[in-house]
Amino acid sequence: MRRHRDAQEILPPPVRIVATAVLAVLVLIPIAYTLLLSVTPDTQIGTGGLIPSQWAFGNYLSMWSTVNLAQGLGNSLIIAGFASVIAVILAVGAAYIITRFKFRGRLPYLYSLIGLQTVPSVMLLLPLFVLFASAQAAIHLRIVGTYPAVTITYLTFALPFATWLLVSYLGSIPVDLEEAALTDGATRLQTLWLIIVPLALPGLVVALVFAFLTGWNDVLFASVLTSPETRTVAVQLQAFSSSQEGGALPLYGQLMGASVVTALPVVILYMVFQRYLVGGLTAGGVKG
Amino acid sequence: MSIQPIPETVPAPTAVLRPKRGRSRAPSGRPMWLMWPSILLLVVIIGIPLLIAVYISFLHLDQYTLRSWLQAPWVGLSNYVTALTAGNVIGASALVSLGVSLGFSLLTTLLITPIGTLAALTVNTPYRGRTFVRVLYLVPYVIPTFVTALIWRMMFLNGTGLVDRSLAAIHVANINTYWLLGPNSFWAMVIADTWASWAFIYIMVLAGLQSISSDQYEAANMDGANSWQKLTRIVLPQLRHVLGLALLLSTLYHFNNFTLPFVMFGTPPPLQADVLPLNIYVSSFQLFNFGLGGAMSVITLILMLVPGFLYIRTLRLGEVTAS
Repeated sequence: MRRHRDAQEILPPPVRIVATAVLAVLVLIPIAYTLLLSVTPDTQIGTGGLIPSQWAFGNYLSMWSTVNLAQGLGNSLIIAGFASVIAVILAVGAAYIITRFKFRGRLPYLYSLIGLQTVPSVMLLLPLFVLFASAQAAIHLRIVGTYPAVTITYLTFALPFATWLLVSYLGSIPVDLEEAALTDGATRLQTLWLIIVPLALPGLVVALVFAFLTGWNDVLFASVLTSPETRTVAVQLQAFSSSQEGGALPLYGQLMGASVVTALPVVILYMVFQRYLVGGLTAGGVKG
Repeated sequence: MSIQPIPETVPAPTAVLRPKRGRSRAPSGRPMWLMWPSILLLVVIIGIPLLIAVYISFLHLDQYTLRSWLQAPWVGLSNYVTALTAGNVIGASALVSLGVSLGFSLLTTLLITPIGTLAALTVNTPYRGRTFVRVLYLVPYVIPTFVTALIWRMMFLNGTGLVDRSLAAIHVANINTYWLLGPNSFWAMVIADTWASWAFIYIMVLAGLQSISSDQYEAANMDGANSWQKLTRIVLPQLRHVLGLALLLSTLYHFNNFTLPFVMFGTPPPLQADVLPLNIYVSSFQLFNFGLGGAMSVITLILMLVPGFLYIRTLRLGEVTAS
């Protein structure tokens, strides 16, 4: 019995199955190798076969004291967490104004959001450092190396994308609901909070996740703007990796273990919100 | 931080709500202040530093003069001349780096496009386990770039990494190929980035496929079209717009990719992997030649304006707001 073939099917099933298998294997090899190395004793990496003669699950315990991983993860969480929440709150406000009112500067603002995204981030690193250092000399308060300095940086970098995303979400919410509330005497802020925010929740989640990842994944700014106490896990791992060169016995097992632990929350975050996120990524790009 | 796909069309303000009553301080007035925090941050954290970067590129600025950078000596275009001809003492010149960056971003984009398109076609129609495959495809893309770099650093480790071992086992290459040093480093970087980023094209194409109506496929089936004809006559022409945007964004994104080569090779990187952002970083923060780093940044920015302008044109903002 032959099933009726789907008209949208472009690849013949055998081609599809082979292609899927090849892609899956290519995706999985480096990941499996990483997991394997993370439980291989350091003395056995690169010697003999791929499968170690004994498992070193202890790597997952000892890595917490080799690098101050808990502190790094905590710092990343604090910095990326605050940055993403504030960025989304500010972006909702801006997107609300952009989608509900006509005003001079509306289009220039939208254009400049795109323009700012094309600025290479490495270009801003030194000036930002200089700016923070000058401000800190002026007000006699430490800025470079503190949580607010790096948080405010990530939050600003997350703003253009978050605003764009929310402009497209808020634009699709009909104004009738608000008008009813406004005639009942609600203020603009009440309408925004009680009507718009609940309706735009999927958009807010997408914006929040992407803003969070801006901070979590960054190495560049954190490497210069954080101090040893506020160092994010990204910088810790980069430093850990480069300190393994030339050493007697590189701690590759622990390095891979720490990588797994750092990547896992992000991968899980994506899987949980997968449906929203893929939609959010392509909110534009494609005609709706 | 990086270029990400952003909505193509901006909804025009929906039937503008005006305060019903004439009072100027009506509660339903325009809360324009909601925009001020965003504008302030964008100006202070991105706008002003951008201007400072341009200014610094005309200065002779090092770690000694940084403290009073406003008084640093003005040297005109000499940083630009140095950037284009000599570069920093341990790295490539901006021109060489530019070549590496262009080669890297264009080649990666060229490689991920067919892979991403093929992947999208494999999950276009429902079958058992499709959801699992879709999630699996996204995993390399969602792994943080610094972790991707560490993974591939281990894969390419000389003599002991999986790549060297496998290639030596099938007698394709010497076990000591030195992927992380010298000319091979460019290819190591391209391979790692291809692995990590093809899902971007996949996501864009998958969304694009959904906008093609099934009537067209049915008509093609009726006419007895084969898979190849369906692909080249129906799918690819209709994906032209989506693919164009995806290629543009991908090139921009790869061009600005700093984290992957930085974590994969460390500093100083091999000359063949000395991409422009990395060269700027090394010039500025390891050799403390801030003026030179600034000049290279401005050169990068000018180059970015070309795809940036193209991008803004594809967004067709004016068209939407005109209505």
